[in-house]
Amino acid sequence: MSDRQKIVLLLLPAMLVIVVLFFGGLIIGLMRSFNYMPIIGLTEPNFKAYISIFSDIEFYHSFLLTFHIAFTSTLISCVLAIGAALLLRRSFVGKTIVNFLFQLNLTIPHLVGAIGMLYLFSQSGSFARLAAEFHLISRPSDFPALIFDPYAIGIIMQYVWKEVPFIGVIVLANMQSIGEDYESVARSLGASKWQSFWHVLMPMIFPGVLSASIIVFAFTFGAYEIPALLGANYPAALPVLAYQKYTNVDLAARPEAMAMAVIIAILCAILIWIYVRYCRKRIRGQA
Amino acid sequence: MTHVSIQNLSKIYKGSKTPALDELSLEIPSGELTALLGPSGCGKTTTMKMIAGLLDPTSGDISFDGRSVLNDKPENRGAVMVFQNYLLFPYMSVSENIGFGLKMRKTDANDIKKRVGEMLEMVKLPDLGDRKPSELSGGQQQRVALARALIIQPEVLLLDEPLSNLDAHLRLEMRDLIRALQQEMKITTIFVTHDQEEAVVLADKIALILDGKMKQYDTPQAFYKTPIDEATARFFGCHNFIKGKALDGVFDCAIGKLKIPKLIKEGQGTLTFRPENIKITKDKTKENSFGAKVSNIIYLGTQTRLKIKLAEMEFDAILNPNETAGLAIGDDVFIHLPSEVLWKI
Amino acid sequence: MSQKQNRTLQSLRVLTGIVLITWLVLPLVPLAIWSFAKGWYFPDILPKRWTLNAWDYTFSDTAGVLDSLWITIWISLAATGLSVLIGVPAGRALGMYKFKGKELVELMILAPVIVPGIAVVLGIHSIFIFLGLNNTVTGVVLVHLIPTLPYMTLVMSGIFANYDPAYEDQARSLGASPLKTFWYITLPAIMPGIIVGGLFAFLVSWSQYILTLLIGGGRIITLPLLLFNFATSGRNDITGAIGMIYILPGIIILLLTAKHLSGRSGAVGGFGQI
Repeated sequence: MSDRQKIVLLLLPAMLVIVVLFFGGLIIGLMRSFNYMPIIGLTEPNFKAYISIFSDIEFYHSFLLTFHIAFTSTLISCVLAIGAALLLRRSFVGKTIVNFLFQLNLTIPHLVGAIGMLYLFSQSGSFARLAAEFHLISRPSDFPALIFDPYAIGIIMQYVWKEVPFIGVIVLANMQSIGEDYESVARSLGASKWQSFWHVLMPMIFPGVLSASIIVFAFTFGAYEIPALLGANYPAALPVLAYQKYTNVDLAARPEAMAMAVIIAILCAILIWIYVRYCRKRIRGQA
Repeated sequence: MTHVSIQNLSKIYKGSKTPALDELSLEIPSGELTALLGPSGCGKTTTMKMIAGLLDPTSGDISFDGRSVLNDKPENRGAVMVFQNYLLFPYMSVSENIGFGLKMRKTDANDIKKRVGEMLEMVKLPDLGDRKPSELSGGQQQRVALARALIIQPEVLLLDEPLSNLDAHLRLEMRDLIRALQQEMKITTIFVTHDQEEAVVLADKIALILDGKMKQYDTPQAFYKTPIDEATARFFGCHNFIKGKALDGVFDCAIGKLKIPKLIKEGQGTLTFRPENIKITKDKTKENSFGAKVSNIIYLGTQTRLKIKLAEMEFDAILNPNETAGLAIGDDVFIHLPSEVLWKI
Repeated sequence: MSQKQNRTLQSLRVLTGIVLITWLVLPLVPLAIWSFAKGWYFPDILPKRWTLNAWDYTFSDTAGVLDSLWITIWISLAATGLSVLIGVPAGRALGMYKFKGKELVELMILAPVIVPGIAVVLGIHSIFIFLGLNNTVTGVVLVHLIPTLPYMTLVMSGIFANYDPAYEDQARSLGASPLKTFWYITLPAIMPGIIVGGLFAFLVSWSQYILTLLIGGGRIITLPLLLFNFATSGRNDITGAIGMIYILPGIIILLLTAKHLSGRSGAVGGFGQI
């Protein structure tokens, strides 16, 4: 058997699954978003679904909210994760515990974290009770709305809780394989601590940070259960809105749901393009 | 021009009981090129990092021109370190690497460009400014690392094993370059190495460090002619030792009475001589001549190494192949030890 | 650096460490407390009375929690097993060979890691209705392959990239058949990768929500779906108990594989999906 045949055979099952399920799902979604589905008699594609969602203010609100959630969560998580990694690479009391909790956190599903946030920060949650204990508030409704709130604070807190360890573990491994000598060189050449971090360490961990950020951004943009649990009714996050449209009794709303799925997919395609363009190239440049 | 003074410098790493460096004291005159020589793990790189300010000493002091620099941050110390594996920043071009120190000092961009150009000329890489470090050979990377350090005109230049990653022919070239640049810029330079040859060819003076302690601080020649003890002599490849007693210009030992230079102190001790200073002679009446037996011969092309047995002891000898032509294992020979090559430790 | 500065820095580290530790455990605390609480009302900081009622209910036959637990385990095991069977060969092709179009194949396998489930599952639902796979365990297992298979493939590709096939040639030249070579040479060498990748793939499947929700169509209730239902219906005590059960496999797997959970192992990328 030639190498070529071997490679084809080895890859065939995996490619079959991915092409049929993943790309199949994408393509069917795309077709249905254009109201095109010959099997059920829809043979004339049109833009109705897109026109409908683009003329509805709810979609814009929903999109902006989702973008805000994803962007803010990713940004805060990155900054905190880099800080935590800087902390964890040196030895200090409690380092092992933090390390263990980081790893523990990686294995805990988002949904559990979301429920935890609900119990901590809702208006009758643990923090509200603490506030009442210290006579800062007298009724639950006095406590600021951090859950089901229009700014998605609860959702963002949950994502930050979950993603700081995720990005942190990746960045930490990155830092450990780079070592501290490059920064030593920079210090020796006259860079201050901050300069050696910013001009030397940051560019070296950047590919790792970027690729982790892309994964986080895509996840937080497309996750359903967390905004479904912690989000306000209006505007709902885009995945929640898409699900609502899809399961609507009015079947006519389904193409609109598909159109939203397509929009999420396009956004992710852009992210993948950035990933391939910058992360891979830079990683290769270093090899 | 900076005089570097190291006093009782010690370093004990966290969790370790034995010191990585034990009470090192050293005076390095300004403008000199000094080698810290020792086997790997003897505390050389630790010393260098402490001078550069990248490590805090456990005790002791480091001063430049009489002023303690221990509280100076590495970036303000004026001592710049070039690491063994060069550590060129991989995502920067050669020019950006060389200009890094000036950029950190917020030097004007045009100025940086001009000085980087000069440095590239100086290290003989005028056309490679736009390359990435990964596109350079080891020798070229070393030059860039050197240029990157020299551009900020440091008071003290610290080189970690500067020749060890280079091929034999590149080593000579790099040695000449380092010497030339050092002479030209008159920078007090300290380099560490585990290779005595590297130390000898490059340094004005060598500090030999064994087991975290400084053994001897001297010119390269002195380590061959007048080593301070057996370990030092061994480190420089000399294994010829005879125990005995010196009295009145004569050393009395198992092989007989040897005439020794007047300078040598009297008393009990060990006599040593370099293998290359043993002569084979036919004239047995010459002073310091003894009958011996050849116990092994290794022909190495440009030299011949002999093992010579004498009074139940074995000595190394290195001779010119012409002198050993026709010799065979088991032959009886006369060896001559000129009194001026003998040294008592 | 002066001693004093050093000490300030060190205490700053310790302080940040404490804040981090607190923040990391904090959300799990009320969950655990709720599972033992009997009527824990505002503004009580801790429950007035403690009880095992929620746990009794959870483990009773009528609650459906145990059924849900078994079906979740079964689905995750099946998805993991299939991912291993399909992902190991694909990982071998990607890790050991250079071929035309390799970058495209890698990209196609990477895409499902980044693209969220909601973007594809609506379309898949349409196909599955047509194929009669919606509302079935098989359908759910298949759709779970979308996140688990790419993950397994990427892990195995990393393992095979560091694997020297010369050992196989050596075994063959010593008289082993291809099958025996695989069994005695290849498999032991890649086993650590399969185990770690498999355990993590299990966790990826274990945490899926929207894929199960849509394809399961309300008939297949896995643990996260049940958890969500209880959380939104205000049964905080039962939510707490199910939540504790739900995070258990993760903790066990963590204890088994802690050293592989550093970002260096490449295996960690999949945790973006949990």
